[in-house]
Amino acid sequence: MFKLLRAAALALPLGLSLSLSPAVMPAAPAVAGPALDFSWPVNVGPLNPHLYSPNQMFAQAMVYEPLVRYRADGTVVPWLAASWEVSDDGRVYTFALREDVSFSNGEPFDAAAAKANFDAVLANRPRHAWLELANQIVSAEVAGPHLLRLTLKDAYYPVLQELALPRPFRFVAPSQFIEGGTKDGIAAPIGTGPWMLTETLLGERDTFARNEAYWGDRPAYQAITVKVIPDPNTRAIAFETGEIDLIYGTDGPISPDTFERFRAMGERAGLTAALSEPLETHALAINTNRGATRDLAVRRAINQAVDKDTMIATVLYGTRRRADTLFAPNVPYADIGLEPYPYDLDEARRLLEDAGWTASTEGGIREKDGERLSVELCFVGTDAVAKSMAEIVQADLRRVGIEVLLTGEEESSVYARQRDGRFGMIFNRTWGAPYDPHAFVSSMRVPSHADYQAQLGLADKAEIDAMIGKVLVTTDEAARQALYRDLLTRLHDQAVYLPLTYVTAVAVARKEVGEVPFGAMSSEIPFDRLTPAAD
Amino acid sequence: MAGFILRRVLLLLPMLLGASLVIFLMLRLGPSDPAMDYLRLSKVPPTPQALEDARMMLGLDRPIVTQYLDWLGKAVRLDFGVSYATQRPVLPDLLHFLPATLQLAGVALALTIGLSVPLGIWAARYRERWPDQMVRLVAFIGVSMPNFWLGFLLVLLFSVHLGWLPPMGRGGLAHLVMPAVAVSLMSLAINARLLRASMLEVAGQPHVRYARLRGLPERRVERAHVLRNAWLPVITAMGMHIGEMIGGTLIIESIFGWPGVGRYAVSAILNRDYPVIQCFTLVMVAIFMLCNLVVDIVYALADPRIRLSAEGVE
Repeated sequence: MFKLLRAAALALPLGLSLSLSPAVMPAAPAVAGPALDFSWPVNVGPLNPHLYSPNQMFAQAMVYEPLVRYRADGTVVPWLAASWEVSDDGRVYTFALREDVSFSNGEPFDAAAAKANFDAVLANRPRHAWLELANQIVSAEVAGPHLLRLTLKDAYYPVLQELALPRPFRFVAPSQFIEGGTKDGIAAPIGTGPWMLTETLLGERDTFARNEAYWGDRPAYQAITVKVIPDPNTRAIAFETGEIDLIYGTDGPISPDTFERFRAMGERAGLTAALSEPLETHALAINTNRGATRDLAVRRAINQAVDKDTMIATVLYGTRRRADTLFAPNVPYADIGLEPYPYDLDEARRLLEDAGWTASTEGGIREKDGERLSVELCFVGTDAVAKSMAEIVQADLRRVGIEVLLTGEEESSVYARQRDGRFGMIFNRTWGAPYDPHAFVSSMRVPSHADYQAQLGLADKAEIDAMIGKVLVTTDEAARQALYRDLLTRLHDQAVYLPLTYVTAVAVARKEVGEVPFGAMSSEIPFDRLTPAAD
Repeated sequence: MAGFILRRVLLLLPMLLGASLVIFLMLRLGPSDPAMDYLRLSKVPPTPQALEDARMMLGLDRPIVTQYLDWLGKAVRLDFGVSYATQRPVLPDLLHFLPATLQLAGVALALTIGLSVPLGIWAARYRERWPDQMVRLVAFIGVSMPNFWLGFLLVLLFSVHLGWLPPMGRGGLAHLVMPAVAVSLMSLAINARLLRASMLEVAGQPHVRYARLRGLPERRVERAHVLRNAWLPVITAMGMHIGEMIGGTLIIESIFGWPGVGRYAVSAILNRDYPVIQCFTLVMVAIFMLCNLVVDIVYALADPRIRLSAEGVE
């Protein structure tokens, strides 16, 4: 009996490992030229340029290209469109497409192909309704073999910015449409971009090869392998042991302390670690329509009582920059010289005293007319960084007599609170380039956004919404700047937000990868601009 | 014996049904809103219209009993729906990832049995002497150390510092070593101590003393009289260990980038990807039950008393 058991015990796992060895384990394709190993938490998806999750934006942007590209300085430059003309009323855009572009399967990219793609996107319009341009486009027409004409409802100014987005206005070869469109999927991800998706292994990796027939400057790297690594610690180890060559991203690809460790190792260990310019703002939206924060004095006191520098130095290991305004000054129209609220505890206390919020005991929680100065701060409970930041806000505000109740919940519960305004303060992020500022302020008019709910208590909320409606369709540049100035100044003066940090992209690379440039948008990774360092 | 097995197999059905109900209700009665989770994972802005459409599409507007029956009806036809996060059918993906997990759990099981039995015998043979103390120390460490932490320590030593083993991914034998050790150490430690205790208990019994009096060689006494009788509690524990190992792969797979069903499930749990969580939990319950069934059968084979009482022979 014992022998039998022993034999069975030995045979079982052996049998398993033989019979269940991976079905697909092809060798990596032979690569002539340098290859780069990267990682991402999930597979890149089927790469339909006109759909969202599970398609990963950075990969969509590798394979598909826009008519125009957004640059870090906020300008828009020609790309698949060599030039364009705008009608006097700002409603008709005529794009002259480059004539030397073809898809990676050899199909020509011309006005007909571009129109087919616009039609495919608009056939699924409700899915794209979050993006104003999708609502604005009335038609896309072929005006010549390489001339594409877009007609809009209104003189919506951010047309070019939204055309530059990684999705949905990019182009797949029309031969890959399914049933005449893309909303039910595509046959294969064939784009015009510098990279082609060559292999996907579920749960393991995706491989991209350089598009040898690319019309622009071909990338220096021959291939990019994107390994599936969901865990940030595992990613850090994979980097240290040479499994991957590059860590890049804005959504915490590695924890702040790990980044700091790599930065300290630096050159000595043969690696580079860098932070990008501000990409988005991480702020708390303060509810002007509920509880003690209806009082402007309380909102201002909150803005003056939080020690952001210490927060950044401790919790974030210096990986972000202090934010004093809702939009960083490098955001278009946002460099208007708003005066930051300085960190000043005495001033915060004075503001509260003057507004009638007093404490019965020294250092106690303040009250006014029997109402306790207590604010509920909501965050996603599993977000360790947000939790630490919330705890610091809690401790800081306690010092001026404001009680902060921390509510850490599931993501969907926090979303629900954003929608219906059940919060005192809630974490909020701007959308980054090229959405900031226009698309972000546009969403302030939508009731299901935390911004709308937070602003609801402002006496001039209706006026603010009207102003947003106007700024989006003003064709006069000076008027647009003036409207943005007015709008952003009002929000700043009313202290609707507690800006905390500017989110940056992190890049950690082996020395051989050379210098890592940052993309203008947080959703793109500039693989095509990487050049291996000369030995 | 055949009757015993048949009865146990038939019992699986109502148990699975009960488990499916509990799984379904536990997810549905939680504080989270599946429609909101669906929109969040699909990256659709949750406008009231989008929420209503999602509720309708996911059938959340219907009574919970109808929802359950609908889900169950599809589940028995092996249709577990489409993942919210990946928009891919759940079961084919789960089955795609399952072999990697079974391979890892299988190797971990082999390690557990292959090491714990000799260690247990060794410790019992040299009771209270240095081999016993050493096994005790290993067992103490193994039981106290969470497997994910052990995983990180192993990676730190063997991948980062020594560079001997690959830190992640699935490939050859070298890729298996660290995850398998991390998954199996606790079961291995428990098993070795269990076998030792059981052997020492049996060793004190009259039939063993009689065997020694008969002048049988010590090794033979140990194998034929002690070990054979000491084996039973270990078999029972083994049933639990198999479950533990498959459960243990959940976190270990994430740490070692092992493309198995555990990592798939952990992502789904973090995302609240309901269809995946439901399918995964049910498949795991089924695997646990099957393992327990196999253990019971082995137990019955090993111990006639159980077999006979199950067949109604006193």
